[in-house]
Amino acid sequence: MRVVGGMESPGELAGLGRAALRRAVVAAASVALVAGLVFATFELLADPAALRLGRGASPEAVAALRAEMGLDRSWGTRLWGHVVGGLSFEFGVSHVRGAPAGALMARALGPTLAYALPGFVLGTVAAVLGGLAAARRRAIDRPLAALSTLLLSLSSVIVVVLAQYVLAHRLGWFPALGWPLGAEAGGVARFVALPALVWAALVWAPDWRHYRAVFMHEWAAPHVDGLRARGVPERRIGRHVLRAAVGPIVARIGQRLPHVALGSVVVEQLFNIPGLGALLVAAVHTADAALVQAIAVATAAVTIGGQAVCDAIVWLVDPRVRRRDVP
Amino acid sequence: MRQVERAALAGLAGFVVLAVGAAAGLWAQGWDAPVGRAYMAPGTGAWLGTDALGYDLLAQAIQGTRVSLVAGAGGALGAVALGGALGSLAGLRGGWTDRLLAGATDAFAAVPPVVALLGLGLALGPGLSTVVLAIAATQWTGVFRAARAEALRLRAADFYRAAQAMGAGPGHQIRWHVAPALRPVLRSSLVVLFAYAVRLEALLAYLGASAQELPSWGRLLARSGSELARGVWWPTVAASLPLLLLVLCAQVLADGAHGWAIRKR
Repeated sequence: MRVVGGMESPGELAGLGRAALRRAVVAAASVALVAGLVFATFELLADPAALRLGRGASPEAVAALRAEMGLDRSWGTRLWGHVVGGLSFEFGVSHVRGAPAGALMARALGPTLAYALPGFVLGTVAAVLGGLAAARRRAIDRPLAALSTLLLSLSSVIVVVLAQYVLAHRLGWFPALGWPLGAEAGGVARFVALPALVWAALVWAPDWRHYRAVFMHEWAAPHVDGLRARGVPERRIGRHVLRAAVGPIVARIGQRLPHVALGSVVVEQLFNIPGLGALLVAAVHTADAALVQAIAVATAAVTIGGQAVCDAIVWLVDPRVRRRDVP
Repeated sequence: MRQVERAALAGLAGFVVLAVGAAAGLWAQGWDAPVGRAYMAPGTGAWLGTDALGYDLLAQAIQGTRVSLVAGAGGALGAVALGGALGSLAGLRGGWTDRLLAGATDAFAAVPPVVALLGLGLALGPGLSTVVLAIAATQWTGVFRAARAEALRLRAADFYRAAQAMGAGPGHQIRWHVAPALRPVLRSSLVVLFAYAVRLEALLAYLGASAQELPSWGRLLARSGSELARGVWWPTVAASLPLLLLVLCAQVLADGAHGWAIRKR
């Protein structure tokens, strides 16, 4: 057994190569699957031309629009185009909005990140610290558990509506909704504060439970008893526990990354934020296949990429993972 | 079973009774006809007041129980059936079956659930069956992973290999080994998914993809934000209180079932 971590053995590297290859295959399959599903939903199950023209459209008009949109080609050709476009991140032009789907998406990413990123950081820090505190002290655990269960039981719609009513309408601490049209920085911060807080609360409730379980597990580990038996002070033991919990924490953050990139449909609808979630809802309702495809493929790429980055971080930080002591 | 869980189970049973009674026509029949003026306050004629069109909110909330329960139970059952069947197949077969199924599930899990939910809602048209299908189609991957892990453990277990070596048929194996091994995992995911599916139904109803012919809590919620801003608080209460109670009951049971599945191991 090696005591000190250092250079990786050839076996470790070969395992890493195999894992990377499997990941690449799964990633390509995922993107192709997403593209295929979007195609199946928006071009086979729903007819975008008929949806655009409405219910009273004549069959000739629909056929003409289908030809104009390129929907009269054989479905195999169109599926192939979708999959290749997805794999090369070429999403084509949104027929409904008449602009490249990639550019539309990039424009909506800013507002989403403006509230989702601060909210996510706030919620995660609060969840990790709260989980650590709750795993140590029962007096802290009880109220936090009640709060988390309450938040989990509320639909996100209710959380947003109540926060808007109490914090914005009643107390007047924040503007109720809206988004600055100009680019003034202070204006954005004013409008972003409440959505970010709500998003933090929505992230905090399930994540606190996760981190609490992780810390409970780590505090009960045998090596913690060993440290205590040797008279190591509790503060130093806390550092050891935190270090052992890095893996699960990073993994959870990796799972959460697509939520940060896509934001919350509900938050964006109710706060009137022109972000990705709102764009997605609009795109789905207008059967805008190119735009839905762009958002879906980009989110899938963030999911897969985030997972890979987080696994790499854990692999670098945690020597037990490198030696395959823990799965 | 602790006292809280018993109370939660009783609460869930209460909701089932409410829904069955509403479906059978015993109570809350007046939901589809106006009973008075718009926005009557609670207590004045209608117990929970009336909504923007003068419809009784209490009757609507009770009828909404039907939609939530069917969506929650149907979606959770579908996801558990699909994920459980594929997961146990992958775990018990091993080899290339396992590799392919696990890879395909990983690929599927990367599809953003919001996109799948909304896309299915548009493609199949709004309705309760759409909601059930969308929930089952997006939530089965977690069940797959749990069932596969349990099946892998079972595959390596001595008693299972002994049964195989003695020539036990597939029926015997499933009845005496696979089903008992998977039951705790599947039961706990069923309860967890039920709580989640009820909330998803409310979200889909809010986005306009749920049942149109019946009142649902999500559709009541969709309007309640602007009403609340004008000081009309009772539609919000009528929609959110039953939703909160139902999910809370399911959540308490889910936490209990989860702990139970771990202790059983």
